Amino acid sequence: MKILLVEDNERVRQFVIKGLQEAGHITDHAANGRDGMFLAASEPYDVIIMDRMLPGGIDGLAIIEVLRKAGTLTPILILSALAEVDDRIRGLRSGGDDYLTKPFAFGELLARVDALHRRSQGVNREAPLIVGNLQLDPLTRKVTRGDRQISLQPREFKLLEYLMRHADQVVTRTMLLENVWDYHFDPQTNVVDVHISKLRQKIDAEFERPLLRTVRSAGYMVTARD
Amino acid sequence: MRSSALSLALGYIALGMTALVLFAAPLWYAWQVTIQDGRSEILQADAQRLADIYRRDGGDGLKSFIDARVHMQIANDRILLLTDLSLHPLAGNLPVWPPQLSAIPGNYRIKVDVGEHGVQQSLVHVARLGQYFLLVGRDNKLFAPLERRFWYGLTGAVAVLSIAGLLVGLITRRALMLRIHSIRQTVSAIIHGDLKHRLPTHLSGDELNTLARTINGMLDQIELLVHGVRNVSNSIAHDLRTPLAELRSRLEELSLMRPAPERTFAQVDAAVADVDRVIHIFDALLRLAEIDAGMRRSGFVPLDLAELAATAVEFYAPAAELKNIELEFHAEEPLPAAGDPILLAQALSNLIDNALKYAPEHGVLDVSVRRRADGAAEIAVTDNGPGIADSEKAKVLERFYRGDASRGTPGVGLGLSLVQAIAKLHGGTLELSDRNPGLSVVIVLPVGERSAEPRGAEGSAEAPPAPLPETGSAAAR
Repeated sequence: MKILLVEDNERVRQFVIKGLQEAGHITDHAANGRDGMFLAASEPYDVIIMDRMLPGGIDGLAIIEVLRKAGTLTPILILSALAEVDDRIRGLRSGGDDYLTKPFAFGELLARVDALHRRSQGVNREAPLIVGNLQLDPLTRKVTRGDRQISLQPREFKLLEYLMRHADQVVTRTMLLENVWDYHFDPQTNVVDVHISKLRQKIDAEFERPLLRTVRSAGYMVTARD
Repeated sequence: MRSSALSLALGYIALGMTALVLFAAPLWYAWQVTIQDGRSEILQADAQRLADIYRRDGGDGLKSFIDARVHMQIANDRILLLTDLSLHPLAGNLPVWPPQLSAIPGNYRIKVDVGEHGVQQSLVHVARLGQYFLLVGRDNKLFAPLERRFWYGLTGAVAVLSIAGLLVGLITRRALMLRIHSIRQTVSAIIHGDLKHRLPTHLSGDELNTLARTINGMLDQIELLVHGVRNVSNSIAHDLRTPLAELRSRLEELSLMRPAPERTFAQVDAAVADVDRVIHIFDALLRLAEIDAGMRRSGFVPLDLAELAATAVEFYAPAAELKNIELEFHAEEPLPAAGDPILLAQALSNLIDNALKYAPEHGVLDVSVRRRADGAAEIAVTDNGPGIADSEKAKVLERFYRGDASRGTPGVGLGLSLVQAIAKLHGGTLELSDRNPGLSVVIVLPVGERSAEPRGAEGSAEAPPAPLPETGSAAAR
């Protein structure tokens, strides 16, 4: 994946670039709004990571608005030190696709970049999701593993659907809270883990090969790979 | 010195004088016109009578009649003069024909030297009788006192108005200065840091008093906020120190001991967790500050409290199950309200999370949402845990306070104060009450009249319940 990072703090920039490269991505970076806008407008990227407050006269949100007006559809992740919900809403309204508050864990950033990229691929929201021998049909709301039907509570279904839409990608607890429960705060407990282990019991318990895995200090992943 | 009271008084004086002049001028004019008309009629009648004598007795007859009248001094305010055609006086009490008066018949208003009475403004009538000119007139002596009284009266009124106005202005200014001075003293005491001072108020409801009361209300709020900030900074200093100290010693130990890689990484992970704790405290504080500032009202939308609670209960159900706690949920109907869904969800989550923490194994936790008789919405989270002693009830709402029961459990002591701040933002309250055993924490939210109406008809439609923008903004104020 080709990713542009526009971030003025050199330490954060190097940390993120290094991590993205280790994860196998090609990266470009700019330290100010002017260079960032130039790169974003001239090169095709899969995802743009944009710091909200930038030196050089143009701030991140302004760049995003210009890019969107110019017809750029590239998914954009906004990084910001402003944590208030209003700021988040303003950021998303300017044309950003996701919002991550500093300081952040790199795993969180990577997972969100992957999710953004996946979303931009234009998936069929109605097609059945298949991971290994696990199948989830969004229309009939049926879940089967092998030849056995699994009955899930509505929220468990939503949880599994989100995980399967991001199959083979790490999904963080925060992403699950935001997307499955619409909770934009940190409940400070391991409740998400409890939900996951309940779900795991239903889909993995009696099968040899676990599909719902915990990724240490990052989150979870549904995958059929080894 | 400029003073608003004085300028106001001067303005009123000027206004009063204008009114007086506007009142007196037409009166004066009307009076003058009436008198003049009357007098010229009298003069004409006089002249007519003299003309009759002339016609009857001829010029000599008239001359002797005039002489007789002047001699008798019948009326000393009268002017009489008979001249020949070259204006040479023949009879009368004027020594000469007034030089500024032309010899054309008619009425004139001139100054005439009437000898013993000096120069008088007089109305005269000139007539031609054959070979003679006749001049009759009356001086103003009779009306002078009246006019004088009029002017005295007017001047007196002006003087009284000016002096009284000036006095009232000065007194008002003095009273105002006294009150403003006391306000200034109070304010400067506040500027110098003593927030306890309040402006003096009286029982009267005058403007200044109302203003003083409003300002006192503002000062109360400021004092509360400053006090809160002071408390919070003390608490931050204390509560951030703990994880930071742990972090520091952990890192220092790593640097000194240089343990095996595996242990090093475990320590680094622990250090990251320490940092996360610090960040969490900061986030909670920022959110509290944000709520305190009342900025979040913009995020108010119509929502269903019952649904919000149902989601929270469902969210915590597996955790309760894990602890063998029975989690019950009671809600009547949808309970529409206007509020910030994120904050209300966080408040609910905090309450349930707290209750789960303190409820004993195999305990019972009840979440109920209902409308009270007075129309307010009530969200109650009740557990059968150890409860909170009365002496601690107020304290648990303070920021960073952690009761004895919470020792050894994770948390930073911001949970309940956050819930309280959220309830307050929504115009509601947070109540703690004993359940013996256990604790009931109740959020009471006033529900606006219109948003209190059930959605009713819309319920049967297939479309998801549409937001009610009007009720939202009405209740959000």
